[in-house]
Amino acid sequence: MTVGIEYYVLLSAALFCIGLFGVLTRRNALMFLMSVELMLNAANINLIAFAFYHGNLTGQVFALFTMALAAAEVAVGLGIILVLYRNFRDVDVTVPSAMRW
Amino acid sequence: MVGAFEFAPAIALLPLAAFVVALLFGDYLPKKGAYAGILATAGSLALSLWMLVAVFGGEAYNEELYDWAIGEEITFHFGILIDPLSALMLVIVSLVALLVHVFSMGYMNDEGETGLRRYYAELGLFTFSMLAFVMADNLLMAFIFFELVGLCSYLLIGFWFRTRSAPSAAKKAFLVTRFGDYFFLLGVVAIGATFGTLSFAGDASFVDAAAGAIDAGETFHGFSAETWVTILGLLVLGGVIGKSAQFPLHTWLPDAMEGPTTVSALIHAATMVAAGVYLVARMFGFYALSPTALAIIAFVGAFTALFAATMGVVKDDIKQVLAYSTISQYGYMMLGLGVGGYVAGVFHLMNHAFFKALLFLGAGAVIILMHHEQDMWKMGGLKDKAPVTYYTFLAGALALAGIIPFSGFWSKDEILFDAIILGLEEPIFLVAYAMGLLAVFFTGFYTFRMVFLTFHGEPRTDAARDPHPLGWNVKAPLAVLGVLALVAGVANLAPVAKLTGVDIVFLEHWLDGEYGAVDGLLYSEYTATAGLETAYIAGSETITLIAAGVLALGLALGGAGLAYVLYNVPEPKAHTENLGQAREVLRSNYYQDEFQVWLATGVTLPLARAADRFDGSVIDGVVNGVSSVSLFGSGGMKRLQTGVVTNYAALIVLGFVALLVFFGVYGGWFV
Repeated sequence: MTVGIEYYVLLSAALFCIGLFGVLTRRNALMFLMSVELMLNAANINLIAFAFYHGNLTGQVFALFTMALAAAEVAVGLGIILVLYRNFRDVDVTVPSAMRW
Repeated sequence: MVGAFEFAPAIALLPLAAFVVALLFGDYLPKKGAYAGILATAGSLALSLWMLVAVFGGEAYNEELYDWAIGEEITFHFGILIDPLSALMLVIVSLVALLVHVFSMGYMNDEGETGLRRYYAELGLFTFSMLAFVMADNLLMAFIFFELVGLCSYLLIGFWFRTRSAPSAAKKAFLVTRFGDYFFLLGVVAIGATFGTLSFAGDASFVDAAAGAIDAGETFHGFSAETWVTILGLLVLGGVIGKSAQFPLHTWLPDAMEGPTTVSALIHAATMVAAGVYLVARMFGFYALSPTALAIIAFVGAFTALFAATMGVVKDDIKQVLAYSTISQYGYMMLGLGVGGYVAGVFHLMNHAFFKALLFLGAGAVIILMHHEQDMWKMGGLKDKAPVTYYTFLAGALALAGIIPFSGFWSKDEILFDAIILGLEEPIFLVAYAMGLLAVFFTGFYTFRMVFLTFHGEPRTDAARDPHPLGWNVKAPLAVLGVLALVAGVANLAPVAKLTGVDIVFLEHWLDGEYGAVDGLLYSEYTATAGLETAYIAGSETITLIAAGVLALGLALGGAGLAYVLYNVPEPKAHTENLGQAREVLRSNYYQDEFQVWLATGVTLPLARAADRFDGSVIDGVVNGVSSVSLFGSGGMKRLQTGVVTNYAALIVLGFVALLVFFGVYGGWFV
């Protein structure tokens, strides 16, 4: 007996919403980054679930790409957070608001 | 005469070479480049005479030499047209140019003027442009050189640019003639656009095309072909009126006397001012197609002849008198051409070139004698002290006044005769004739007033008692022109020919292709095209001829006689002061200058201001309005950017949701 595709999709949607909630509400940059990771992994679950459902490997290959992308994103994101901390003595994303008109 | 015409371009190019030489090396040459100019113009004169002989030998020349711009519909080219008219004009121009160069050595070099290099260079450039204009075989080339002579005129009027008056006179001459040339340019463009050609002669001439269009009853821009030809002719006539100083664009010529007298003789009497009249003669076949244009030419000419002659009566400056007489005489030529007297007009053009150049050079000699004094009231008694100047000047004056047998009589008589025979058929032209006739009286008067005030009576100043001596280079040109003023009339003794039956109307045969000619440019063809009806007093040509001649001669003698009575006394008085109010009006030139200034400041300037205001408020307002709306709008929109990353994320999400809802509704999910 296999788990139905709808459960995977439900899990993925829940995970994505948790990530989205984190992005919209958290002020801590590290939390922000983690929330983005959650959203990315929600997409990964979707990709793999549908690959399993259709019986081909394309989705799984794409999930691997996404993981590489996520690793790179975390590297850049952490760099930004370090600079943020150095400049503002804080990792609150609402403090640096000078990058506008 | 094989190959005579191969040398035609050299006629114009020689003075151009003199221009370059004088401009580059003038300061190092003896006489500052005068010899270069004299050699070049002498060469031009020799070649022009060769052309004359070649045309006499039955040849003519109409060649396109260089394609300037080749288009789909029209090709602009430079070419040379040597026919009886242009050959004659070439000789006149190069002869007068040569004599003026010689005279300049006496008037400019010997008087120790500075800036002679510039003077001779500009004189060379002028001679080149004028000769090239005369030879031009198409309207565009004519226009280009028409502008170039205008430029030289501007430069030479402003020769003494350190004075206050000369630069302003130069600017005035430039602007007023340019005003006329603007219409000329429109005419050139319109003729080119209408007929696809600008050639004066040959198979593809615009004259033939216009005649064909009228025959075929074509219409252009909603006008019948004949009306359209009239409009085109009148546009070109604008340039003619400006250049030949006809009313109402005559005001520049009297001011142009600020230039050296030699320049006045060459440019503002004998040649450049003749360019306008020459142009009418050149494209007379075109004007002959339009009786309306001809009538306008006749009336402009007749009115100018009278109008300018009356102003000449009250002037005290010898050059001013001559300037107004020049305007008046060109009026006669226009009258002659306008009443279909092509030969008469060209005849007067030739005679006038000689006797007016003579008078101006004579005035130049008088000015040298008088140590640069131009006021006639400070002269007097020069007759015995400068006999050469006196007798040559007298010859010129007799020709100008139209006293038999001097050249001016024959040509003026012919013009008036042509006017009266046309007037007897169409009475409206009698008005033009009457104006021309009345002007004869004034001409006789002011001419001899000038002669008597200058040369007769007792010397009125020290300068007149002890005149400056004159060199050969002043006397020689005067003598040559003096002889020509006396005998040039022999070219066309039409009245004598008609009375005696002897065939001595050489000029008429000359212009009618008796010798060499280009097809389509013949007097008889023009006459046939114009188709003007003429009539005679009592039906007799002889009676009309004698009556017209005696009337004109009587009036001329009357004018001269009145001047004799009033001014040929040891101590003449200013009789013109008895004219009272009229004198004021005449001395102020009928307030034409004031009127034109008023037109400029009172009409044109407010109009320009209104246009400027419209531009500043409406046009700029729209443009500025568009930019300020977008500025204001973007000023509000930029508030969306807070700089807080969370807000951006929220906006992205909201945007995504909005898109989702939109496509959902659009795609029918919620149905």
